[in-house]
Amino acid sequence: MESNKKYWKGLEELNNSPEFVEMNKSEFAEPLPIEEILSGAGLMAKTPRRDFLKALGFGVGAVTLAACQKVPVHKSIPYLIKPEEVTPGVANYYTSSYNGQSILVKTREGRPIKIEGNPDDLIGRGAIDAPGQTSVLDLYDISRLQNPLLNKDESSWDMIDGFVTKELAAIAAGGKKIRIVSSTVHSPSTQAVIAAFTAKYPTTKLINYDPISYTGIIQANQNSFGKAVLPHYHFEKADVIVSFGADFLGTWISPVEFMRQWVTNRNNASLENKKMSRHIQFEAGMSLTGTNADTRVPIKPSEEGLALVNLYNAISGTALPGSKPLSNKAAANSIALAAKELTAAKGRALVVCGSNDVAMQVLTNAINSLLGSYGTTIDLDNPYFKYAGNDAEFVEFVNEMKRGEIDAVFFLDSNPAYDYFNAKDFTQALAKVRLKVSFSDRSDETSSLCQVIATNHNYLEAWGDSNAFAGYYTIVQPAINPVYNSRQAEQSFLIWANNPVKDYYAFVRNNWETNLLPKVGLSGQGGWETLLQKGLIKTADVPATTYTFNKDLSGIAQSIINHSNQLAANGNTIELQVYPTINMGEGKRANNPWLQELPDSVSKVTWDNYAAISPTYAEKLGIKEGNVLKVTSGNHTVELPVLIQPGQAQQTISVALGYGRTSSGKVGTGVGKNAFPFLTFKNGTFQGSAQATISATGDVYNLAQTQTHHSVEGRNIIRETSFNKYLKDPSSANGRHESEHKTYTLWPEYNRPEYNWVMAIDLNSCTGCGACVAACNVENNVPVVGRDEVRRRREMHWIRIDRYYSFKEGNESVTEEKEINKLDNMDNVSVVYQPMLCQHCDHAPCETVCPVLATVHSSEGLNHMAYNRCVGTRYCANNCPYKVRRFNWFNYWNDSRFDNYLNNEHTQLVLNPDVTTRFRGVMEKCTMCIQRIQGGKLKAKLDQRNLKDGEIKTACQQTCPTNAIIFGNVNDPDSEVAKLLKSERTYYVLEELNVQPGIGYQVKVRNVNETLA
Amino acid sequence: MSSHESIIREPLITGDNITYAKITDDILVPVENMPNKAWWIGFTVASAGAMLWLYAVSYTFWYGIGSWGLNKTVGWAWDITGFVWWVGIGHAGTLISAVLLLFRQNWRNSINRSAEAMTIFAVICAATYVVSHMGRPWMALYTLPLPNQYGSLWVNFNSPLIWDVFAISTYFSVSLVFWYTGLLPDIATIRDRATGLRRKIYSVLSFGWNGSVKTWQRFEAVSLVLAGVATPLVLSVHTIVSMDFATSLEPGWHTTIFPPYFVAGAIFSGFAMVQTLMLVTRKVLGFENYITMFHIESMNKIILLTGSIVGVAYLTEFFIAYYSGGEYEQYTFLNRFIGPYWWAGCMMYGCNVLMTQLMWFKSVRTNIALSWGLSIIVNIGMWFERFVIIVVSLHRDFLPSSWAMFYPTWVDVSVFIGSIGVFFTLFLLFLRVLPAVAMAEVKLLLKSSSEQEKKKLLEQGHVGKEQAEFYKENLIKYDSVEQAEYSNI
Repeated sequence: MESNKKYWKGLEELNNSPEFVEMNKSEFAEPLPIEEILSGAGLMAKTPRRDFLKALGFGVGAVTLAACQKVPVHKSIPYLIKPEEVTPGVANYYTSSYNGQSILVKTREGRPIKIEGNPDDLIGRGAIDAPGQTSVLDLYDISRLQNPLLNKDESSWDMIDGFVTKELAAIAAGGKKIRIVSSTVHSPSTQAVIAAFTAKYPTTKLINYDPISYTGIIQANQNSFGKAVLPHYHFEKADVIVSFGADFLGTWISPVEFMRQWVTNRNNASLENKKMSRHIQFEAGMSLTGTNADTRVPIKPSEEGLALVNLYNAISGTALPGSKPLSNKAAANSIALAAKELTAAKGRALVVCGSNDVAMQVLTNAINSLLGSYGTTIDLDNPYFKYAGNDAEFVEFVNEMKRGEIDAVFFLDSNPAYDYFNAKDFTQALAKVRLKVSFSDRSDETSSLCQVIATNHNYLEAWGDSNAFAGYYTIVQPAINPVYNSRQAEQSFLIWANNPVKDYYAFVRNNWETNLLPKVGLSGQGGWETLLQKGLIKTADVPATTYTFNKDLSGIAQSIINHSNQLAANGNTIELQVYPTINMGEGKRANNPWLQELPDSVSKVTWDNYAAISPTYAEKLGIKEGNVLKVTSGNHTVELPVLIQPGQAQQTISVALGYGRTSSGKVGTGVGKNAFPFLTFKNGTFQGSAQATISATGDVYNLAQTQTHHSVEGRNIIRETSFNKYLKDPSSANGRHESEHKTYTLWPEYNRPEYNWVMAIDLNSCTGCGACVAACNVENNVPVVGRDEVRRRREMHWIRIDRYYSFKEGNESVTEEKEINKLDNMDNVSVVYQPMLCQHCDHAPCETVCPVLATVHSSEGLNHMAYNRCVGTRYCANNCPYKVRRFNWFNYWNDSRFDNYLNNEHTQLVLNPDVTTRFRGVMEKCTMCIQRIQGGKLKAKLDQRNLKDGEIKTACQQTCPTNAIIFGNVNDPDSEVAKLLKSERTYYVLEELNVQPGIGYQVKVRNVNETLA
Repeated sequence: MSSHESIIREPLITGDNITYAKITDDILVPVENMPNKAWWIGFTVASAGAMLWLYAVSYTFWYGIGSWGLNKTVGWAWDITGFVWWVGIGHAGTLISAVLLLFRQNWRNSINRSAEAMTIFAVICAATYVVSHMGRPWMALYTLPLPNQYGSLWVNFNSPLIWDVFAISTYFSVSLVFWYTGLLPDIATIRDRATGLRRKIYSVLSFGWNGSVKTWQRFEAVSLVLAGVATPLVLSVHTIVSMDFATSLEPGWHTTIFPPYFVAGAIFSGFAMVQTLMLVTRKVLGFENYITMFHIESMNKIILLTGSIVGVAYLTEFFIAYYSGGEYEQYTFLNRFIGPYWWAGCMMYGCNVLMTQLMWFKSVRTNIALSWGLSIIVNIGMWFERFVIIVVSLHRDFLPSSWAMFYPTWVDVSVFIGSIGVFFTLFLLFLRVLPAVAMAEVKLLLKSSSEQEKKKLLEQGHVGKEQAEFYKENLIKYDSVEQAEYSNI
C-alpha cells in the first residue's frame, strides 16, 4: 500500500505559500552576486585583508588535504610459512619440455623467469633456439584470456562443461563426425587422451595440421620405401651436404639439432683434425643455411626441380625422361660439381630438399639411395614424430565441413583461420559446424569463430610429455600454478569424455608408469621422481638399416618438370616463394615482443615481413629498398615493403610466413602481412612457390633494421680463409704480427690475481641464428623498444650479430660498397656473421672518458657499469670502437609509449631479479652475465672448492646450439677458453687500437674450391 | 692631458664636437630612455625563442634524451655541436678584453664591453647544453669533485669532460669578474645621472665607486691583473674542449692538431659573432662615431687571419689522414666529401675557408652589408664544422655494422633555435640596463685618437703634407666621417 504520509520541512512548505514557491525555484535562499562579480566591480574590488587571509587559509588547507593522498602502497607479503622448496633469492630449476626439447625452467620465488636447455637433452644438448628462449614471456602475456569464454562471454568451467557435454551427447546421438584439429600431436599422453575421447565418441578423428608442413617428405618415404615417416637426418655423419632450399640450420624440422650436428665437422676440434665438411646450397631466397653454406647457388623455385633431375642424372649416369640442361649456367656448373663431390663421398653424403612436393622428395630419396645415405646419414628407422600433418587430410576436413558432415570440431594449438591458405573457405565451412571449441589461450582468428574458448594452460603451467623422435620421451611439468582461470585441454577432453581419470596429472603419471617408464626399467614413485629430475628418457635406438630406392622415376620426373613449368615466370610474372623465419615460424608466437624485436638472422629486419628482391633485379625494375610493392598471386594481394636481398635469385621474391596476424594480442596484431594465402594446394600438399605479379604502389615504408650497412668495406675486422689455405697454414689470415711490432701503452698494468674472464667466439661455428641474442634479452631484462625506436637505431640488445655480405668477382672478394655497386653479377654472395658484444677491453676507451667513474674495470678483467653513478653523457658510447653500449633513451619500464613488456606490472614478473632494470638516462651494456659469475663464485665458496672451468656459463654461451661462444678464466691455462685463444685462428677485432679486447674471435674458414666454385 | 698620437694612425672616434658629456649622453641613450620599436621587435622575437628553448628543454627533461634524434651510433649531435659552437663564440670577448688590452690595442675600447657581454651569454648557452645533454641532469652534481659518503668517490680526472667542467666554470667566472670590474666606472656614471630607485640600484652595483685617483689606480691595476689571468684562458678553454675529441679513439676526433685548430676556430667564430652583433647595435643605437669603419675592418682582418689558420688546419688534417695510412682515418675524411653528409662537409669548408678569403679585398672588408653577411656565413660554417666533426665522424666509424644516420627531431632544432633566443634575450636586456660601449675607456681615447683632435692637428698645419694626404686617404672608407670637410684642409 502506498504511503500517504507527507513530511514537510517548515510551515512554509506545508502551506505552499507563493513566496515559498518563488524562493524554492533557486538553489540558494539569497541570489548570488554572480553578475556583480563578473561585471567588473567585483573583480576590481579591493580584497580586504581578512578575505585575503581567508582565501590563503583555505588555499593552503585545500592543497594540504589534496597532498595528503596516500602514496600507492605495494604490498609484498613475506613467507610466513616458507614453502619447503622456495628460498628467496635462490633459483629453482624444473625440467620440462618445449616443442619436444627437454628444458630446464628457472624459477625465482615461484615465478618462471628463464628457459634453459637441459644439458641432457638429446636435441640441443643444453642449447635452445630463440623461440624457446623467449617462450617464458608467453606465460605472462596480458592478451591471454583470464576466463574461458562461452559464446564470447566470460564463463565458468561448470557452464562450459555443461554446454559441451550436452552438445556432445546430442551430436553423438546424431552420429555425425567429430574432428580434433591440432598441430601434430606427438605427446604420448595427449594421444592417449584423444584415444579415450575417441572411445567415448567414436566418430572422432584427430587431424594433424601443420601449417608449415612436411607431408611431402612423409608421403615420399611412403611411396619410396613404404614407411610414412619423417626420417632422422644425421648431418654429423655427412662430409658433403647438398641442400635444395632446405633451411636445416634455421627452420627445417629440427634446426637446433641439425646445427649441432652440422658444426661437428666444422668447429675448432674438427679443423684441428684437418677435417671440414663441404656444404652446397641451392635456393631462391637467402636462408640462414644458405648464408652458412660453403657454396651457395641462387636458383629460382622453378629451377629447383630441374636441378634435382640434373643432379640425379649426373650421379646415376642416366637421363630421366623429360630432363633438359639447366639454362642457369652457374647452377648447371655447380650441379655437376656437386654430383662429383657427392659421388666421391658415397656413404658420407646427404642431399636434402626443402620442397613439400612429393615428387621432388621422391627424387631426393632416389639420389640419397644412390649415394648410400640410408642407414648412414638418413635414419628411417628412428623417425621424427614432431611433424605428422597430412595436408590432404586437412583439405578433406574443410570439404567435410562444407558438406555439413561435421557436427563438432576442437581446435588444439591450431589456428587455421589465420594459417590455412584458403582461410575464407575454411571460415565459411566452419560456420556450418554445430559445436566449435577452441583451446586457444586467447581470442585469436580461429577461436573467435568458436562458441567455446576453453582456455588452455601455458606449457609452463601444464603437465604433459612429448616424443620428438623415436625413443625420446620428455616430460612437461608445471613450474607455476595457473596464472589465470585456464584448464588444460587434455583435462577438458577427459571431463567431456567422462573418463574415469579426470585429473590430467594422474593421467600422465599413470600413462608413464604403465607405458613409458618400464621401457627404461624405471617404476613406481622412484621412477617417476627420477623422470621429473632428469626430464627425459631415451630407449635404445633401433639399428638404422639401409634402404634402396627401386621405383620407377619417369612419372616422378614428368611431374617435377610439369610443376617447374607451371612455376616458371614469364616476362610479366615473377616467382614467389614463402618461407618461415626462425623468429616467427608459423606465427603462433606473434604476440611475443622479444621475438618481434629479434632481428631476422639474415636481413636484420625487426617487426615486419617484406618482399625480398635481388639487387640487380630490383635495379632492373627501378625498385628501391622500402618501396611498397603490391604482390598478387592467385586470389591474394598484399602490399609489402621491399628488402634488397643480395643472393636472392633473379626474378623471384621471398616473403616470410608468420606475420600479419589480425588477432594475436596487443603486440603482434597487425605486424607485417600474412603470406599464408600465397600457399597453394598442389599434388596433394601445400606448396610454398607460385607465380606472382608485382607492381609498385609508389608508397615508401621504412623497415626497422638493426643493421643498415651490409658490406665490411675491406676492413680486417672480419678475417676469413679457405680450407685449403688453412690446411697449408693454420694461422693464415689471422692477420697477427705480434712478434714484428713493439707495443707501447700509456696505461699502468694491473694484476688479475684470481680470475681474468674472457671469451672466445668461433666465427666458423657461429651460424648467426640469434639464440644468444634472445637468451641475453631474457637473462638481462633488456628492454623492447618497438618498431619506431628500432628505426631510429635504438634497439637495446647487449649482443648483436653483425652480418656482412661480400661478393665474388673472379677470385676477388669485393667488400666495399662503392665497388659492389659497380658489380654486374651479384649472385656470388658470401656471408659472415660476427657476434658483437662488449669486448671488456683491458684498456677500455669507455672507462677513461667517463667523467664520473660510472664505468670502471674490475680486478677480474671485466668492464663494469655502475648504473647509479651514470649521469648519461654518452661519451663512453661514442668512444667505444665496437658500438656496443646502449643508452636508455626513455624510461622503458615506466613509459606507456613502450608498452611491450617492461612497462606492465604483470609482464614485469618475468624479470630476472638478479639484474637491475635500468632507469632512463643511463648507459648499459653486456656485463658478461656478472650475476652468473658472482653466483658461481658464491656457490664454489659455499662448497669450499675452486671454481671449475665451464661451471659458469654466460646466457649467450649456454644457449648456443653450436658452442660458438666459450667463456672462461684465461688465468687457468687448462680452461677451454685459454686453449681456444691459443688457436692459430684467433684474432682480436680492432686489436691495432691497443684497447686489448677480452674477446678473441676465430677466423672463418670456408671449404671452397677456389678454382672450381 | 692632450697626448697627441701620430696622424697616420686612423681615428678611433669620429664626429665633431665630441665631448666627454656627449659620449655619456650618446651611449646612455638606450639605458636612460624607454626602448624604441626596434628593440621591442627584437626582444619579442628573442624571448619567443627563449620560451621555445624552455619548452623544448622541459620536454627533454620530462621524457628523456630520446626526444632528440640521437641513436646507438651517434651519441652526440646537435647538443655538443651547439655546445662547442657557443663556447667558441664566447672566445672573442676575452680575447678582446684581455689579450688586446695587454697588447695595448686601443681600438678594443669601443667593442670590448659588448664582446664580453656576448661571451658571458654565449657561455651561459653552452653551459645549458652541458646540463641538458645529460641523461640524468638531476645528477649533474656527480661531475663535481665534492666530498661524499660513498667512500670518497671522486670524479674521473682522466676524463676530458671533467676538464671541461673546470675549464668552462673557470672561464665563466673570470669573464664575469673581468666584465663586471670594467663596468664599475660606467655604472657609477649611470648612478650619478639616475634618480630614485634606479639610483639606489646602480649605487649598490657600483660598489661605491667614487672616481678618486686611488680608485682609478686600483681599477687599472685590477684590470691588468685580470687580463693576465684571463689570457691563458683564451687558449686553454677551447684547447680543453677540443680534447673532448682529441683524446678519444674516434677517427676524425683523435687528432693532435685539434687544440690550436679549435682555438683559432673559436676566435674566428667569436669575432664573427661580435661583428654580427656590433654592426646591428651600431646602426640601431647610433654608435657610428664610436664603432667606426676602422673597427669593422680590423675585425674583418682578424676573421681573415683566423679563418685562414683554420683552413690550414683543415688541409693538415687531410694530409695527415692520407699520410697516416690509417684506413679508418682515411675513410672518415673521405666520408666528409663522398659520404651521405657531403653537403655538411661542403658547408663547413665552403663557408669557413672559401668565403672568408673574400676578405683579402679591402672593398669587402669595408662594406658593411658584405661584412655582416660574411659574419653570418662564418657563424653557419662554424656550426657545420662542429656538426661535421661530431656527427659525420661518429656516424661511420670502425664497424660498418653500426653505421647509422642521424636525423634531428623538432626538439633538437627547438633547443638550438631556442638557445639563440636565450642569447639574444640576454643581450637585449643587457643593452637596456648597462652601457653597450665602455664609456670610461672610450673617453680615454677622445683626446688622442679621435677624428676631431686629428682634424685640429691638420688644421693647425703641424702635419707634413704627405702624412696628411695619407691620413685623408684612410678616412675615405669611414661612413661616419663628413668627407667634404677634408677637401679644403
